[in-house]
Amino acid sequence: MATTVDRNGIPATAMAGLGLEPPIREVRPAPDRFRNSLGKYRVWRSDACVKCGKCEEICPRGVHVRPDGYPDFLTGLDWRCTAEKCKAAGTYCVDHCPQKALKIELSPMYKSLGDFRWTADLILSAWHMAATGEIPDGELEYEIGNSGGGFDRMRFKFPENGPRTDPAEISTALPLNRRGDNRPEITIDVPVYGGGMSFGSVSPHTMLAKARAATAWNTFSCTGEGGYPERLFAYRDHVITQVATGLFGVREETIKMAPIVEFKYAQGAKPGLGGHLLGDKNTPAVAAMREAVAGTSLFSPFPFHSVYSIEDHKKHVDWVKHINPRALVSAKVSTPVDVDMVAVGSYFAGAHIVHIDGSYGGTGAAPEIAKKNIAMPIEYAIPKVAKFLQDEGIRDKVTLIASGGIRTACDMAKAIALGADGVVIGTPEMVALGCIRCGRCESGRGCARGIATTDPELIMKMTIEWGTQRLINMHAAWRAQLVSILSRFGMRDVKELRGRTDLLTHLDYE
Amino acid sequence: MTEGWSSAPPRHTDAEGGCGVTGFACSIPVSGRHIYEPSAQMHNRGNGKGGGIAAVGLEPGRLGVSREILNDDYMVHIALLQPEARNQVEADFIMPMFEVHHAEALDHIDDYRDVEGLEVRPPDVQRYFVRVKPEVLRKFAEERNLTGLPERDIEDEFIYQNTFQLNSKYYASLGEKQAFVLSHGRDQMILKVVGYAEHIVTYYNLEDFKGHVWIAHQRYPTRGRVWHPGGAHPFCGLNEALVHNGDFANYYSVSEYLAQRNIKPLFLTDTEVSILVFDLWNRVYRYPLEYIIEGLAPTTERDFDMLPKEKQEIYRRIQRSHIHGSPDGPWFFIIARNDVANDSFQLLGITDTAMLRPQVFALQDGEVQIGLICSEKQAIDATLHSLAKEDSRFCPIADDYWNARGGSYTDGGAFAFNVKRNGDGSRHLTCQDKFGRPREVRPGRRVGGVGSGERETQNSELRTQGFSDGPALFEALKAAAPGEGFVELQGLCSEVAARASDRSDKSDRSDRIDVAIEALTLMIDRRYPVGDNKRSSVLQVVNDCLTGILESIPTITGEPASRYARIDWETRSALRPPGGPEEVLVVNARGFPPEDDDCDARLVVRANELGWKRFICYGYVGQRFLGCGLGPDSDNVVIDAYGSSGDYLASGLDGATVIVHGNAQDQVAQILKRGKLVVHGDVGQTFMYGAKGGSVFIKGNAAGRPLINAVGRPRAVINGTCLDFLAESFMAGDPLNGGGFVVLNGVRTDDDGNMTDLDTSYPGSNLFSLASGGAIYVRDPHQQLEDEQLNGGAFLELSDADWQIILPYLQENERLFDIPISRLLTVDGVVREPRRVYRKVAPAKLKAAIVADDDGNLALCEESNE
Repeated sequence: MATTVDRNGIPATAMAGLGLEPPIREVRPAPDRFRNSLGKYRVWRSDACVKCGKCEEICPRGVHVRPDGYPDFLTGLDWRCTAEKCKAAGTYCVDHCPQKALKIELSPMYKSLGDFRWTADLILSAWHMAATGEIPDGELEYEIGNSGGGFDRMRFKFPENGPRTDPAEISTALPLNRRGDNRPEITIDVPVYGGGMSFGSVSPHTMLAKARAATAWNTFSCTGEGGYPERLFAYRDHVITQVATGLFGVREETIKMAPIVEFKYAQGAKPGLGGHLLGDKNTPAVAAMREAVAGTSLFSPFPFHSVYSIEDHKKHVDWVKHINPRALVSAKVSTPVDVDMVAVGSYFAGAHIVHIDGSYGGTGAAPEIAKKNIAMPIEYAIPKVAKFLQDEGIRDKVTLIASGGIRTACDMAKAIALGADGVVIGTPEMVALGCIRCGRCESGRGCARGIATTDPELIMKMTIEWGTQRLINMHAAWRAQLVSILSRFGMRDVKELRGRTDLLTHLDYE
Repeated sequence: MTEGWSSAPPRHTDAEGGCGVTGFACSIPVSGRHIYEPSAQMHNRGNGKGGGIAAVGLEPGRLGVSREILNDDYMVHIALLQPEARNQVEADFIMPMFEVHHAEALDHIDDYRDVEGLEVRPPDVQRYFVRVKPEVLRKFAEERNLTGLPERDIEDEFIYQNTFQLNSKYYASLGEKQAFVLSHGRDQMILKVVGYAEHIVTYYNLEDFKGHVWIAHQRYPTRGRVWHPGGAHPFCGLNEALVHNGDFANYYSVSEYLAQRNIKPLFLTDTEVSILVFDLWNRVYRYPLEYIIEGLAPTTERDFDMLPKEKQEIYRRIQRSHIHGSPDGPWFFIIARNDVANDSFQLLGITDTAMLRPQVFALQDGEVQIGLICSEKQAIDATLHSLAKEDSRFCPIADDYWNARGGSYTDGGAFAFNVKRNGDGSRHLTCQDKFGRPREVRPGRRVGGVGSGERETQNSELRTQGFSDGPALFEALKAAAPGEGFVELQGLCSEVAARASDRSDKSDRSDRIDVAIEALTLMIDRRYPVGDNKRSSVLQVVNDCLTGILESIPTITGEPASRYARIDWETRSALRPPGGPEEVLVVNARGFPPEDDDCDARLVVRANELGWKRFICYGYVGQRFLGCGLGPDSDNVVIDAYGSSGDYLASGLDGATVIVHGNAQDQVAQILKRGKLVVHGDVGQTFMYGAKGGSVFIKGNAAGRPLINAVGRPRAVINGTCLDFLAESFMAGDPLNGGGFVVLNGVRTDDDGNMTDLDTSYPGSNLFSLASGGAIYVRDPHQQLEDEQLNGGAFLELSDADWQIILPYLQENERLFDIPISRLLTVDGVVREPRRVYRKVAPAKLKAAIVADDDGNLALCEESNE
């Protein structure tokens, strides 16, 4: 990044005015920001305890805490407990307690956390990765959920004794411009970037954390359609400007400074429904950014009023390319049955990236009935589109990005094996920041974790530095998992995995 | 006719979006080369994977038949995808049933590769003039129980079914497609290729082939690497050829509707089912055209309520019976038709109820008459330009341009141009809307007609004494406009041109050019009496003069010498910063591509980066994006645009000023942020979509969906009206507190400069729907607008504060367009108070608005305007 000062007087490198260190790609601990973390187990210590210290000694996870020199135990760090693993390893404190004073049971919070797609295990392991940058070594299932379909029924067929690649030699880089059209050849270091979440739908701290983590990992975040807050300008090289149907906050300046401009035609979570920011989230700050009236619900129509056909789309793409001759163009579409034709049409209309958004994604603000019933699940859409691009002879001219229900690094790898070049994630970033999936995103003051909120008080529940680090850690853990999968297949580059459906098996159709 | 096919309607496999459509009907037969120009200009609306044309009202001589045969016989055109299939096709479907009066293979150039850009060999086309053999027809009538119907109807049906069977056998049922019928109507021809429409004209040698009605289509299919011309438009009914721009959402439903009536599509595009529906209603149900249009584009909402009771009754029945056969979603049809029952050739344009596709109609009257329908105005101008070059009876400018209001009570969203026979065998053209009401233009003399421009000019010396002053020169030109035969005006214009480019004159040439441009621009922008002359011809004279002056400006390749420098396609690489006295860059847009890095709009951006601030751009034929990309530091940039500027003009403008001398097209001023836009004419669809600010002045009308989702503080004055959906989801704050608004005046100025009130300031059913901020100040002295047109808005009385806010905009409007405030306030000859003339439309209630107090705390407050 060059040291230039933009017309707003913000130096491009120094994070002046923000008081923030430049983000760096380094795992640092970022433990839960709430005093009592949620975990799988609840550990009970009865009065029978004689404080012998046996449990403290044997516990591999440091659950039982007794400060030096003190006789009594403090409240335990239950969330660290890996009871099942300890039973197998012979380090189960309950068995070792001479007084039978310990009892371990599933935490009631664990029982009520999550759903079939995002199981409690997935949420807890996502938190673990965001806190430590490492794959959980306990008993949490961090790769698949319990939906009974989709990615959850797919497995990789790893070779038994094949040669493995040295992880240090594996590339996970993804080039985004394959058109050969004189526009910049942008490459990101991991085949994943952050989806659009508007100023208004999430807090400014969330936006900044996403952009900073994207900067550290040389990938992208996206403005969503609520405008481009000036505090993001410092990270402009890693921020996609979204042009969505409401055109909120879109102006020439924000198109001009974006390395990538994304047209959001539809969202897989709610195709045909446009966007909708309920009045409660439309605070004066949000309204000022969108230049609308505070307190009123803001609608983004479906579709673009200026685009009702493919040649309109081409004109639309031409327009943005005209305003910014260096920008790459991404067309984000949902997955109707003819998504393959839409993808090919988007390419021929000039898009560099075709971004297909399947049906599993969406925050609590998307109506349940829409999330589950309209678009095609992404695991069907990816091979359909990839094959059609192949048949048309343009597979290597376009970057195919999939989103809509990518929860884990394993989902990402499966999506790539199905034929995508990379993925876009939304919810995993929210979970890494501490989202408990309560689904009350549509209400501005309803986000208990201060992530998807515009309430000034709730925003302060999360610092930008902490959020940044959590996401940096998450990317580190995701990359490690992807590298491990590539290594087990003896691959050196994530490109080799693309479209290798032969390496996947579906448990229902084996 | 449909045995053996499954009852499930087929899936629509040929998804396609928009495309470009164009067509014209003319009182005299004109050659195919004139459909070439508009087709070529709408290249960027197709992708070269399908093009088609149709012609109706042909000349017998060229076809090798008598007038009687041309009138009475069916012209069967068969595309032979495999030339060797011909004998078999003839043996199966031509020879046994038809008396063939003439047959020939269509002429074409030897090698298709000689046509630039044509990559796939077009089909060989075989043409037959046929009548059904009487015994065959008799047998057919008996078998199908059709006896008793008029002979011609039975024969029509035979032709139709024969074509269906041919297509089933040789096209739809085969892995290898061999042949299909392009058209079978009387006095009609359809041709299609995998390529662009204009390739057809070249390949089949149609440059001099004449017809009264021509339509063309550029297709943009998105599926498959292998295309067949069969999927291209036009599709034929019986005597109709239909082209379609759009992609409707209920293909399945319409197919099912047709399946219930035993009609099966073979080509699997929504265009095909459209013409099948049209043919069903026309030929089987015998609906008059009005009812067919109603079936296709139903009248709804308040428009329905505004219809007379009798019409409501019939329309309600049509809708009840046929709503499932009504295409839903974005579509626009152009139909070329031989209306044999009325001995008329017809060109028909029908837009969907929501007006989701672009459409422009135009009419030129005079010694010859022509009606045109296109996706873009520039295609109309291209057609007229092409015609005017060849035949001085045509003018490069139409007398009237307009948009249809889909599914409306006002025009029904459809217009038909009918070329009817006169007593002497010649033909004349008339135009009607859906309800059969004529649309006419003011008659007048054309330049180039008898007696014009032949005499020597008189007194021009005297008149041109005011040459040092633009407005004075304008007055002189204006006074000459009504002069007989354009003699005075042409003389004066020559004088102006000569003076402006006179190198011997010692005065500063730039000053003389300034004066000439100012005066000629006023002639283009303003309306003034033109006497018995055609305003379009006055404009033609003035345009030619202005173009001549601009062309005389030295190009940028030379040394900086005056305030003006000119650049064009040939000299574009010589672009450099302004030097010496240079201030104005004159850009000739002709020859520039309509988009991409080489387009003229990018040249303007680059020139601006090099220091140019003042631009005069002319020669437009639909080039897009003018004024886009200048960025926020463009406050001193001023661009004047002449000619048919293209889509997305000034979209994203953030400080600059753009002035359009004429009509502007679609998607103008999208996301406008700051700056000023002036349009001395109409604007097209989705004008100011998502705008944030800026000042905009429109002399005429806006088409559908203006200012949708606009926020911030955009301020617009529209002197005409809008089709519908004005300011839907408007979110532009409180106009009295820095927010945005629209002033809608509801007036029009005729060709002589007389200002009249429109029948209503706003005919649409949706005004300010779901808006949460901003306001519309509508001139509605007779309180014609009603609550039914609003959805979430409320009519309020105009306050003094409101008037003070809009007054400066009306003053600027007066300055720009010569539309006096005093005239706007005059109702029935009496000047009224502003509040008795204008009404304010504002959000009915700002419910539960959240406001922050000084400490940034949030509070709920109830605000109400009620």
